Amino acid sequence: MTDDLESKLRDALRPAAPRENFEERLMARIAAAQRDPVKRRGAFTPTPATWWFSAAMAATVILAVGVQHHRVDQENREKGLEARRQVMQALRVTNDKLDLAYRAVRDQSGAIGGDPGA
Amino acid sequence: MIMHKPWKWTLWLALVPALSFAANPRLVLPDFTALANKASDSVTITLDASMLSLAARFLDPNDPDQAAAEDAIKGLQGIVVRSYTFDQDAAYKASDLDGVRSQLTAPGWNRLMETRSQKSHASVEIFLMTDANKAVGLAVIASEPRQLTIVNIIGAIDLEKLHKIEGRFGVPKLDLGATKAPVSH
Repeated sequence: MTDDLESKLRDALRPAAPRENFEERLMARIAAAQRDPVKRRGAFTPTPATWWFSAAMAATVILAVGVQHHRVDQENREKGLEARRQVMQALRVTNDKLDLAYRAVRDQSGAIGGDPGA
Repeated sequence: MIMHKPWKWTLWLALVPALSFAANPRLVLPDFTALANKASDSVTITLDASMLSLAARFLDPNDPDQAAAEDAIKGLQGIVVRSYTFDQDAAYKASDLDGVRSQLTAPGWNRLMETRSQKSHASVEIFLMTDANKAVGLAVIASEPRQLTIVNIIGAIDLEKLHKIEGRFGVPKLDLGATKAPVSH
C-alpha cells in the first residue's frame, strides 16, 4: 500500500520538460501584462476618471450629510426660539392677569383703608 | 362587596372616568374657535413638557426676565393660555366658560381667590390644585369687558418663583401664599 503510494507520487513529481515555446509564451504574457495593467487577473488599478468619480461621489455624500445636519439644526433652533417666545408670552399674560387681581384687591383694600402692599 | 344589580356596575363605570378626570390638573379647554373668530386679537399657547424643555435650552441666563422664566418653568409639565381681545363689550357670554368652570369644581381644585373690580368691571379667579401640600396645577380665569383670558399651568408650581417673575417683569408681588383659606366648592 505504502509502496504503491510512493511510486504514484514519484510518477507525479518526476521532472518533465516544458511544452514547446513555453518560454516565448510566458515572456509574451508578462510583456502584455506590463503594457495593460488593468487586464492583470485579480488586480484593480483605478484610472484617473475612476478616481475623480469616486472623489465626486464622496464629496457629494459629505455635502448632503452636512446640509441635512445644518437644516435639522436650523429647524431645532427655530422651534426652540418659537418655544421661548411662547413661554415668555404665556408668563407675561399670566402675570398681567395676576396683576389685575392684585390691583382689584388693592383697590378694595384701599377703599376700606387697608394697605395691601404691606 | 359584590354588586348584583347591573345599574350599580353602570354607576361605577360612569364614575371611573369622572374620578380620573377630577384628579387632573390639566384642564380640557373647549373649542373657542367661535370666540377666536369674533376676537380682534387672540393668543393661543399650548406648551407641553417637551416644548418647555426645548424652550429652557434657548432661554438666556444673562437676561433677568429669561433667567426668572427658566427658573419658573422647571418642574412644569405644561402651560396653556387662551386670550381673546374684542373690539366691543360683551362679545362673549359667561356660559362660554361653563365647560372650564365645571372642571374647576372637581375635587382637588380650590378657588384661591376671586376679585371683582367695580372700576374696570374685571373679574379674576385663581384656582389651585394641590397634592400632598404641593401645588400641581394653577388656573386663572380673567374676564374683562373686552378681554377673556384663561391660563392653565400644570406641574410642580413654586409660588415663590412666580413671585420672582412678577417682580422681574415689573408686576407687583401678589400675596398668593397668604391666602390660606381657599373658597370651598
